[in-house]
Amino acid sequence: MVKAMGIDVGSTTVKIAVINENKDILFKHIENTKPKIKEQVNTLIENVKAKFNNENIPIVSTGYGRKLVEEAKQQMTEITCHAKGIYHTLNHGGTLVDIGGQDSKVIVIDKYGRVLDFTMNDKCSAGTGRFLEHTAARMEIPVEKIGEIALNAKKELKISSTCTVFAESEIISLLAYGEEVDAILKGLHRGLVTRIVGMINSVAFTPPLMLSGGVAKNNAIRKMLEEETGYEIVMPPHPQIIGAYGAAIFALEG
Amino acid sequence: MLKIPTRTETIYKFKAKGGKIVAVAPYHYPKALFRAFNILPVEVWGPPKLNTLESKAHIQTYVCSVVHSILAFYLQGNLEVCDFILIPHTCDSLQGLGSIFLDFIKPKQKVLTFYTPRERRRIDISFLSKEIEKLYNQLCEFTGEKPDFEELHRHIDIEEKANKMLKKLLNERQYLDIDDFNFYSILRTKEFLPAEEFIEIANDVYLMYKTDKPISKTPVIVSGLLPEPMEIFTIINEKNGFVAGDDLAITGRRLYPPSEGSNPFVRLAKSIIFSPPEPSRGDSVEARLKNLLEIAKRTNSKGVIFYIVTFCEQEYFYISHLRKGLRENGIKSILIDTDINQELSQQAITRLEVFLETLQ
Repeated sequence: MVKAMGIDVGSTTVKIAVINENKDILFKHIENTKPKIKEQVNTLIENVKAKFNNENIPIVSTGYGRKLVEEAKQQMTEITCHAKGIYHTLNHGGTLVDIGGQDSKVIVIDKYGRVLDFTMNDKCSAGTGRFLEHTAARMEIPVEKIGEIALNAKKELKISSTCTVFAESEIISLLAYGEEVDAILKGLHRGLVTRIVGMINSVAFTPPLMLSGGVAKNNAIRKMLEEETGYEIVMPPHPQIIGAYGAAIFALEG
Repeated sequence: MLKIPTRTETIYKFKAKGGKIVAVAPYHYPKALFRAFNILPVEVWGPPKLNTLESKAHIQTYVCSVVHSILAFYLQGNLEVCDFILIPHTCDSLQGLGSIFLDFIKPKQKVLTFYTPRERRRIDISFLSKEIEKLYNQLCEFTGEKPDFEELHRHIDIEEKANKMLKKLLNERQYLDIDDFNFYSILRTKEFLPAEEFIEIANDVYLMYKTDKPISKTPVIVSGLLPEPMEIFTIINEKNGFVAGDDLAITGRRLYPPSEGSNPFVRLAKSIIFSPPEPSRGDSVEARLKNLLEIAKRTNSKGVIFYIVTFCEQEYFYISHLRKGLRENGIKSILIDTDINQELSQQAITRLEVFLETLQ
């Protein structure tokens, strides 16, 4: 059976997808990115190959650490891979928002699955998963829970700082005023979503609006994005491995 | 690969023969005028990857990294070898740098300024020729030399030959089998080599790398001041692309047309006035767009990379209009902000790579 592997080496997590000739996912794996990326991906690839009787599986790598995957026959950017992955998952184009750990991307995909337009946040962690992760850590709340807490908040406070570091100072100040954590979290989510909406407005937006990346699991982000844009969000079944899946399709197509 | 001389080697070789050196800030100036006084212009475009701590005492942090680097480079003692410093009024920041040199730093070298008009009318040729004549008179006073018109014309002719050679290399880029990094490293020797040496090297490059078939990679255009960090070329080439045409201040924007006439100052002025449209000369968006579209058509490029030094206001002024116009004409574009003293960020590399992927 023909197989292909995509590996998405992100700043926060490494994602792997193995597919068959019908582009069905046979195997997927997600784990946190370690400091020694090269060693980590080599071990991961060995383990995956072992699961498939050490078959010679073509690999395409993507993500911020894509050039560190020595076994990859090709490296593709995460934007092209996400476009490929979401198109083959949902069978249509549109505008994909991918909020990752290190950067956020808005990708406009045409009806043939090609990237028409894109934008990325540059250099700064504002508008990324890191922004939520950092502030959640400051409030000693697991990042997986902050979405639900924000959604259930009755009050919403405005966090005006764009910068993650300044936002942290603002949070400390709000906590000192005795403000509730859930209201602060709701404001933080709103801040991130506002920046994403700014990115959506800077490209040639084409509906439907789709969401991928680790932050897609956060229900508050999803709901607020719908509120702010007025569009219902279409979610793929496995939002976190869309990039790896797209890379695997490139590997399959040769 | 050709052995190309460095700035330092060129400076010391020229001085050993009794010549003088003028350090020149970006980017239009009458090169032949200086050569007639046996002064070699050596352009200072930074240099890149410099620690600019010293310049921060004189220049605001929101001024571009090119201007910061020039001042820091001087303050670190690297322009000691120069006999003159020329600061053209390319933008407000460079004009400010001129004032800082003249009023506060007061270097031992003579500091010359040079104003290029923002229009292309007959009055602008007249103004610029007087500005060049003023520069001539200053150099006569400082050097005690007084080259005659014949000598000036002779040097103008040599510079025009060098410009013609630069144009030939750029226009036939698609037929030169050399990677972009090396190609631009060679082109950039024009920033410091005497014209006669540049002509020789350019000719060798042409003969060495000329092929009959065009390069079968994805052609793109680069626009901006200078291609720093030069990693841009590696990224483009690795993604199976190549720079087929440019709208860069260091090269494409200085394809000065040949000029005629009996007055050398007017010849030099006309040459600058009729150079390709670009932001420092206040050209219209339409003129710049037309130029970019012509380069795209000639090189079959479907994408333009605006490689812009952060805080370069006059470049930014045009970008959104140019991108809109390019889009309407089916040409994709991307804006990459750079700081010549920093490595390209991973995000910038990814954006460049995506751009090339979308063109293929």
